[in-house]
Amino acid sequence: MGMLAAGKYLNRVRNHTQSSMVGDVRGVAAPNFELATLDGKRVKLSDYRGKAVLLNFWATWCSPCKVEMPWFVEIQKKYGNDGLVILGVAMDDTDTPKIAQFASEMGVNYPVLLGTDKVSEEYGNVEFLPTSFYIDREGRIVGKGTGLLGRSEIEDNVRKALTAPVAQMNQVEAPATNSKRVKAKPAVQ
Amino acid sequence: MTRLWSFTLITLLLAGHALSQEPGTKVPSVTMAPVSRARVAPGAAARVELDFRIGSEFHINSNKPKSELLIPTALKLSATNPLTVVELKYPAGEDTSFPFSPDEKLSVYSGDFTITAVVRAQAKASAGIYPVTGELRFQACDRSACYPPRSIPVKFEVTVAR
Repeated sequence: MGMLAAGKYLNRVRNHTQSSMVGDVRGVAAPNFELATLDGKRVKLSDYRGKAVLLNFWATWCSPCKVEMPWFVEIQKKYGNDGLVILGVAMDDTDTPKIAQFASEMGVNYPVLLGTDKVSEEYGNVEFLPTSFYIDREGRIVGKGTGLLGRSEIEDNVRKALTAPVAQMNQVEAPATNSKRVKAKPAVQ
Repeated sequence: MTRLWSFTLITLLLAGHALSQEPGTKVPSVTMAPVSRARVAPGAAARVELDFRIGSEFHINSNKPKSELLIPTALKLSATNPLTVVELKYPAGEDTSFPFSPDEKLSVYSGDFTITAVVRAQAKASAGIYPVTGELRFQACDRSACYPPRSIPVKFEVTVAR
């Protein structure tokens, strides 16, 4: 089952594309996407404009991802009223009911979306899991976590996403040589 | 000896490649040592040991991981007539806990491991050298992240001789 589930993901990560999502992505506009939820609804990132978003790429076959999920559940409870939305992007390709069962067993209280080739590529080819992007209310990335982080580091990034004002985002630590940095441009249309 | 050197050279090259990359862009490596002197008589079976080495920073699931959600290491072989692969024997995994989940033990391979293929030749097989090909599929993790499943080609030759 696992091998089938992972097959398309392998093809995904082989299709490398150059994008502004490579390297330090702080200040970059989070690419918009439209993905299916576990119950077949369609969700766009832009639906959450005005909210801070923790976009977490994971898979059922990823043990470190399982460690983060209970933290995300608690963080969603803690910061939900402040405007945080966690979106889990499952990089398993098949067997949606099993993903749903897994999410249910983990007590996931936030939307789980079914990942695609396109969204992986648009986010710089998500090559290993877990990978999370922290997106502010204006749709700009304020942090990225690759591999398993500590809970405190995750919460620091969440608070950064919740509190980043537009004016501050103009001053995000961007090297002068990086012409791909976005300056105060609305990110998610 | 030659086999050991080849193995070592390939591993060093891959390790050097990994170290030259930024953290997070490394590629988990599994390499296979060349198989020498696999030999079987017509009508008989022979064991062929296939030696693999996993990059030092990584582990892969064993053939029997502890959860059906985990992706098992699996070898698929295809032999040409008059050979048949009648059995694959995987080593037991090592029950290991990792920093990302110290209370849970996973059944994994790390370092070197050997899969034994049992190859049978038909009774009327003509003498000759016959290829066996396939792929090893695995899914690797390091101490904090998991990498998408990959496959490496597997190829060896079996000599049929009386």
